[in-house]
Amino acid sequence: MDWAELSFWTLVLGGAVRLATPVVLAALGEALVERSGMINLGIEGMMLAGALAGAWGAATAGWGAGVLLALAVGAALGLTMALLVLWGGANQLVVGLAVTLLAGGLSTYLFQLWQPSGRTAARVPLAPVVDVPGLSSIPLVGEALFEQSVFTYLAVALVVLAAWSLRRTGVGLAVRATGDDPARAALRGVAPRRVRAATLAVGGALAGLGGCVLTVGYLGSFTDNVTGGRGYVALAAVIIGRWSPLGALAGAAVFAVFDALALQAQGQGSGIPIELFTALPYVVTLLVLIAVARGSAAPRALGRPLDAAGG
Amino acid sequence: MSARAIAPAAASLLAALAIGGLLLTASGSGPLAGYDALVAGAFGTRYDVGETLVRALPLAIVALGVAPALRAGVFAVGAEGQVVLGAMAATAVVLGLDGASAPLLVAAGAGAGALAGAAWALLPALLRARLGVNEILSTLLLNYVAAAVLGWSLRTWLKTPDEVPSPRSDNLPLEAALPNLLAGTRLHWGIALVPLGALALAWWLRTPRALAYDVFDTHPSLARRAGVDPRRAIVATMLVGGAAAGVAGWLKVTAVDGALYASVAGGLGFTGVLVALLGGLRPLGIVLAALLFGALSAGADGLQIDTGAPASLATVLQALLLIAAALAFEARRRSTTTTRTA
Repeated sequence: MDWAELSFWTLVLGGAVRLATPVVLAALGEALVERSGMINLGIEGMMLAGALAGAWGAATAGWGAGVLLALAVGAALGLTMALLVLWGGANQLVVGLAVTLLAGGLSTYLFQLWQPSGRTAARVPLAPVVDVPGLSSIPLVGEALFEQSVFTYLAVALVVLAAWSLRRTGVGLAVRATGDDPARAALRGVAPRRVRAATLAVGGALAGLGGCVLTVGYLGSFTDNVTGGRGYVALAAVIIGRWSPLGALAGAAVFAVFDALALQAQGQGSGIPIELFTALPYVVTLLVLIAVARGSAAPRALGRPLDAAGG
Repeated sequence: MSARAIAPAAASLLAALAIGGLLLTASGSGPLAGYDALVAGAFGTRYDVGETLVRALPLAIVALGVAPALRAGVFAVGAEGQVVLGAMAATAVVLGLDGASAPLLVAAGAGAGALAGAAWALLPALLRARLGVNEILSTLLLNYVAAAVLGWSLRTWLKTPDEVPSPRSDNLPLEAALPNLLAGTRLHWGIALVPLGALALAWWLRTPRALAYDVFDTHPSLARRAGVDPRRAIVATMLVGGAAAGVAGWLKVTAVDGALYASVAGGLGFTGVLVALLGGLRPLGIVLAALLFGALSAGADGLQIDTGAPASLATVLQALLLIAAALAFEARRRSTTTTRTA
């Protein structure tokens, strides 16, 4: 198999869709958080926590339980962050890094209690792959796009739902108003603090789900630091996607295409160092970040704490 | 500080201890026995004290270096990658100068480490200063690129010809390391850099420039009127942070590890940034925070040996302490500024 063959690119496309799914979910959550004016640096930790919670839940009571547990753990971490930042007044960037450190340490600790080294790994049942009848037999792209894990279809549906809600519903308006001008939103009867707490909870749940996709969707096992920086990539995807849900999907896709290309190309033995392929998705993400840096579309109050009146 | 200001921090400290106790119970060892093993692991013997200090040392250096950037509101979190680059450059230079005298090896290793760390910081610094690229993300992404560069180097040009179980470089000559300070421990003379760095930071904080850097983030126009060019402020502070992280990498590889391994940074860059925040971005606070984190890290290894509870408990406690500190800083800020701004 080589670059010139179409089957190679079919594999890359299928891999890209798979690899994009966890990042899309996390990035979608982060887009909502940032539209309400917060930055969640704890996203990497929330993904990691979701990955472990999902694996444990799935091994204990089936993949559905794993998904629910991952959502719950992510939301709980998001709410904890909301409590500390919005009510405790702590710096959101510091708390975010602390949450990432906390989830990293906790997941390693609990994983070792669950599966002490040397013991055979528990079996984690995978969520099913759904074959869309008819569409999956389209030549070249059918298999790649329509024979995917349930999570992939769920992610696309959630992106569309979030895009529509942000634009067309009162809740979406409240989120956008809070992110642009919390003081004025408060005058109009929106409670900025509650809106931000809610988006953090949803963002945390989606990050947890994204982590769960890795373990329960694909790998069937947990390893330390299994997320490998994907939470940070999701943060980048939000900026690349100009803070819109569909943009976040596109931003995640950029990373995933190169991630998949790297994965396929590694198997080729082309003489190119494999580390070049490992670094490539991060380098490309950075390059795109540079390309879109000019002309900001960021929510106006992004990263600024609420003042006393903004509650 | 009023009781109301202390309350949230005290409550979160207690919560941290309680959560740690719960985790210790879950691991099968009692909380009291666990905490006892943790303290013994950090301070029980001469060797343990040495371990606490040898782990606090690079954290303090990274944290002191990154403090000016963080004070200026430049949230540079790339120390992890800068430690890696510093260690790599120091290894290459020291191996290349094999046979040279000890002072030359030490000076060249330190210089190479600092330069490489600063060079790795230069790219995100220029991107932020010239193109407005978010420095949090660029530094985080570059950490992963640095790890890939290290992996490639250990497989190719820095690889030892010996048969080894995990990839590493040749052993570095002993002359390249700073001498041991406390017999029977791994503590070395690099610890002298910590008080020096703290004094340098304390001196800098007394200069008018430091004050302008402090308000640079919140009041850019005020800083500009004080003669601070925002671009230069960003680049200068990030380069200082990078050089310090590179020095930490040099010390780790020459004086502690003795050869370059893939695990050389092992989270110390990331943790170092957190130590700076825990220490309130002040010299004394940073040194104390580094000692605390070093003690937790060394203590947790003792805990794992004594009771079997996983050593990652240290990471959990470090994170909880950081949260407690973040709450305390806000409470203090509120209690000191309400009278002025009300």
